[in-house]
Amino acid sequence: MTAFRSNERPRPTLLLLLAAALTLLTLHIRGVQPLESFQQGVRDILEPLRSVTDEITDPVQAVWSGVFGYQELRAENERLRVELARFRGRSMTSEADSELFERLLDEVGLEYLKLDTLLVRILGTPPGNFGTHRIEVDAGSDQGLQKGQAVATGAGLVGRLDQVDRSRSTVMLATHPEFLVGVRLVGSQDEGLARGTGRGTLVIDAGIRLDASVDWNEVVVTSGGRSLLPPDIPVGRVIDPDENAKYKRSVVIDLAADLEGLSFLNVVLERLIEDPVMPILEQSATVFP
Amino acid sequence: MTQRLRVLLVLLTGLALEGTILDEFRVQGVAVELLLMVAILTGYHGGPERGAATAFLAGLLHDSVVGSPLGLHALVFPPVAVAVSSVERRMLRSTPLANGLALFIAISAGQGLASLVGVLFGLLGDSTEVFIRQALISGMFSVAVSVPVNRVVRWAAIGDLPGTIELRREGA
Repeated sequence: MTAFRSNERPRPTLLLLLAAALTLLTLHIRGVQPLESFQQGVRDILEPLRSVTDEITDPVQAVWSGVFGYQELRAENERLRVELARFRGRSMTSEADSELFERLLDEVGLEYLKLDTLLVRILGTPPGNFGTHRIEVDAGSDQGLQKGQAVATGAGLVGRLDQVDRSRSTVMLATHPEFLVGVRLVGSQDEGLARGTGRGTLVIDAGIRLDASVDWNEVVVTSGGRSLLPPDIPVGRVIDPDENAKYKRSVVIDLAADLEGLSFLNVVLERLIEDPVMPILEQSATVFP
Repeated sequence: MTQRLRVLLVLLTGLALEGTILDEFRVQGVAVELLLMVAILTGYHGGPERGAATAFLAGLLHDSVVGSPLGLHALVFPPVAVAVSSVERRMLRSTPLANGLALFIAISAGQGLASLVGVLFGLLGDSTEVFIRQALISGMFSVAVSVPVNRVVRWAAIGDLPGTIELRREGA
């Protein structure tokens, strides 16, 4: 049974609402601050409820996951067994490997391991079904985190902080189509702009010359400079240098960090460069004190 | 309590549930689309205009809790609610099975449309299979919990009707 008024005019109402939604969407994409603050406020209000619910539903959720995620748990278990076996095999040579790794870091001048970081725990995916390539972590602005900070594991770059609430944050994974990062090819020293593809890889489709020599398996790190992320964080290895490109080169990178089965992440706390002019001004200040 | 206040209460409760308990229980990584369901059912029970207005608010709240750009779901929910209301007005008779099927189609369509808009604005990857799977699972999962939601939304949308509102009987 439906209640409707004979004088209802759904079409004008619908058009008005669609226009309002489109306006809001455009303003949000253009980065109008009050809209983001409104959303952040809503999430901050919900936060205490979410924390309590997380704790209360933990035992029930474990049973739920066992029932509805049995296949996933089995696959995860299998993956971990394989990984454990691989690590056992590697343990024999780990000392030699670590020495080699240190030497490599010295040779290419990477400062990655010296960065100041904050360890955060992964809580899961954000609410709803719109959170592909995003994960939530258990720290926010109360812990000193800021939007745009790099997120990494020991293996390399994972993504960057996209939304920072008071005690939770959302990480945009490096595979997200909106993810952009300035990168440097360690071998050739060429720099370019890499973006997520939404399919588990990154692609450098700007900045690399058509005649640049890019090797298969070449290591790629963040370039720093005017990029929001600090320099020299390992990103991954080249799996397709696109040598035969005629007009535009698209170098495909396989991420160094495994985005599956993560539990903890490091947020790099290095100061953000909010204004691209700042580094130039800082240099001028050094040269002309 | 006025109708608007009741709908607002239902929306805020829906927001709290969607951001807390319903987020904890997922099937294949997909959660119940409660606010979309509230929007659709308001269109079904309350007519297209109420449905559209409620759907718009539901979309804004949904955008806030899931972290999508403000306006994205508010762009998708109202047309779905109006479409459901329009179809309902043309239906000669309704059975629980037909209603369940219609709700499944509406929720899957709403979820699919939201993903499509996300892709168009460059916010999501283009793995169509994932979006189709997500839409179908969220449709089925949401229909499974729709009975109590339907009662609450019906109460909110037509609980105390003013005299000017016409009531249409089933099969009319």
